[in-house]
Amino acid sequence: MTTLKNLTEDTTTTRTLLHEAIPITGSIVSGTYNDENIKNYTHGMLQSVYDYPYLSSSANHIFDITTGISTQSPLYSSITTVDAQQAKKKNIYNQMAQLLVGYDVTGSVLQFDEDGNIIAGGYKIDDAIIVPFSRLLAKDEIKKESFSLELGVDSLYAQPLNKRITISDVSASTEYRVNSPVGEYGILYATQSAAGVGPYLNQTSEHTASIGGSTYWYAGLLYYQAGIMVLTASVFGDQLRTAGIGGVDLEYLTGSSTTETISGSITGSTIQNIADGFRHRIYNLQFNNTTELNSTIYFCRANYNEFNYSSNPTYLENSRVRVKNQASDAPVSYITTVGLYNDNNQLLATAKLSEPLKKTPSNEFTLRVRLDY
Amino acid sequence: MAFLDNSGDIILDAVLTDHGRKLLAEANGDFVITKFALADDEIDYSLYNKNHPSGSAYYDLEILQSPILEAFTDNAAMLKYNLVTYGNLELLFLPVLRLNETNGDWSRDPITNSFIVCSNEETTDNGPNSTSFTAVGVDETNTDRTGFLFGTNLTSGGRIQIDQGLDTTQLSPNNSIGDLLENNYTIQMDNRLGKLATITGIQQAPDFVDDDNIAYYTVGMRGQFVSRIANINNAVQGQVISGPRGSRVEFKIATTPDVQSSNYLFLQLGGTVSMANREASGTGTSSCYFIDTTVKITGQNTGCSIDVPIRYVRLA
Repeated sequence: MTTLKNLTEDTTTTRTLLHEAIPITGSIVSGTYNDENIKNYTHGMLQSVYDYPYLSSSANHIFDITTGISTQSPLYSSITTVDAQQAKKKNIYNQMAQLLVGYDVTGSVLQFDEDGNIIAGGYKIDDAIIVPFSRLLAKDEIKKESFSLELGVDSLYAQPLNKRITISDVSASTEYRVNSPVGEYGILYATQSAAGVGPYLNQTSEHTASIGGSTYWYAGLLYYQAGIMVLTASVFGDQLRTAGIGGVDLEYLTGSSTTETISGSITGSTIQNIADGFRHRIYNLQFNNTTELNSTIYFCRANYNEFNYSSNPTYLENSRVRVKNQASDAPVSYITTVGLYNDNNQLLATAKLSEPLKKTPSNEFTLRVRLDY
Repeated sequence: MAFLDNSGDIILDAVLTDHGRKLLAEANGDFVITKFALADDEIDYSLYNKNHPSGSAYYDLEILQSPILEAFTDNAAMLKYNLVTYGNLELLFLPVLRLNETNGDWSRDPITNSFIVCSNEETTDNGPNSTSFTAVGVDETNTDRTGFLFGTNLTSGGRIQIDQGLDTTQLSPNNSIGDLLENNYTIQMDNRLGKLATITGIQQAPDFVDDDNIAYYTVGMRGQFVSRIANINNAVQGQVISGPRGSRVEFKIATTPDVQSSNYLFLQLGGTVSMANREASGTGTSSCYFIDTTVKITGQNTGCSIDVPIRYVRLA
């Protein structure tokens, strides 16, 4: 007689990738909450976006926005005012680059490369809008080829979403890079969305690739495990790079002054203002995250001649088994709970069945208990 | 915890217990699952209707409709009543545990129906030559009160005695209990309040103490806690099992230094009560702090169990 049964060989381990869809509509990050869900800091190096006014305990941090500029950028030397935060933008760029791209053999920080082919040289991303997603959203990693960001690129600030481009990691499930210190990353490509009348992207740009017979514009990099998007600022302007990808030098910030184009913003505005302008042009953002579940499965086998009696006090009436009329009747018990123990009989895990299972000597059960880690 | 949805497929809702998570965090190799048990905590077998007019398919209709709660994470709150494997499928009687109160030395306090554990000497007995009469462990004639255990003086005072066997008049006690004899027991008690001790006053170390401060002791025939019930003759005094008799568990409870020296736990977990003291008039009372708790005794092989009510008291 016993109440415990050894599991012996009845365990196995599995690994499962769990995906969740993360949709973020643009009105959440700009509009719905009158920016009460936007947290700015006195250091001014980044802006945090929440899914609800951040003073509420219900608010979840969803992503940050910041801006970086390389010292190699033609715009770098044009930043002369204190408000334009040249040092902070440079520091952000270098911090992100050393983390995400790494160093060359001389120990110098490498720049973000638009096609990920660092050895071949080619175009670099000098001016970047960087969006690190919170772990709550990205979980273990962003699922490849699930990322899509729709941005408004209408030249008018007042109606930014009338013309839109879509930025996505096209074909990344089979075409991603592994030459980053922080794992895998994909190339973000821009295409014209259906809305409005083009062109929204520079038709003579040199920063293009052909995928599946279609033309895509290099728009940035997406680091899957790190959960960080590095977006070239040139999606908002055609003057930012040599033959940049933007179709028009649009009004990036409020107003129509030429200083409020994306290049004017980088050289003349704070990181916070640039983040505000970026949020203003987000139409839709979505991706799938990935959670890696490592599971141990315990097969708890109740054979025909096992677990047919109960120690439940109601099972007996004056020590006599209630469910029998005579000794030869088959015993009956009902399973509602499974307990998993270690060698010292310490209860480590429990599982409950949604309804009682009738156990008699004429049946057998294998209860499959999965613990995820 | 909510009820599990039982409208569709049968699902299994599994969680680590709080103690399991603690062992996982300690990473000392104790988190290795090697065994399982099945239980039926929610089932009320009195609903099993062997005389249902519609036939045997309806005997357990109400039992199978029992809603089941989600799993608790408290390890002490789960798997209270395990299913048991017996090789013999023709058993009609199963063993139970009964509190043996056939003698004043191992009976409960008749006022509270619980065993009262005096936390310190001052609460137990002021001493025969003392002019103070506040102690509650002895009466006005300096006799130990029934149902009182002395937490610091383990050589005197009462004890707790549990008998195992088939408590039925349908079987003669002269019959052998056979394979249904329980040899090993688990005793659970709050480790902040008391420690397990033999009836001769030797304290036992627990197997382990869980995250909720519940201590688990294993006692067996080889130690001083469990013995075979010697007298099988029904006429012999001191028996509570009417049928075949198995084993007997006897123990005392020693109080912890916290309970002996401080009111803290009493203020947190209990209250105050007026109790009869040892004043010569026999009508004197003392105000005492108290904590009510239980000690659970479970047969490791048969799964039969009993909860014994305990009240710790300390002079206020």
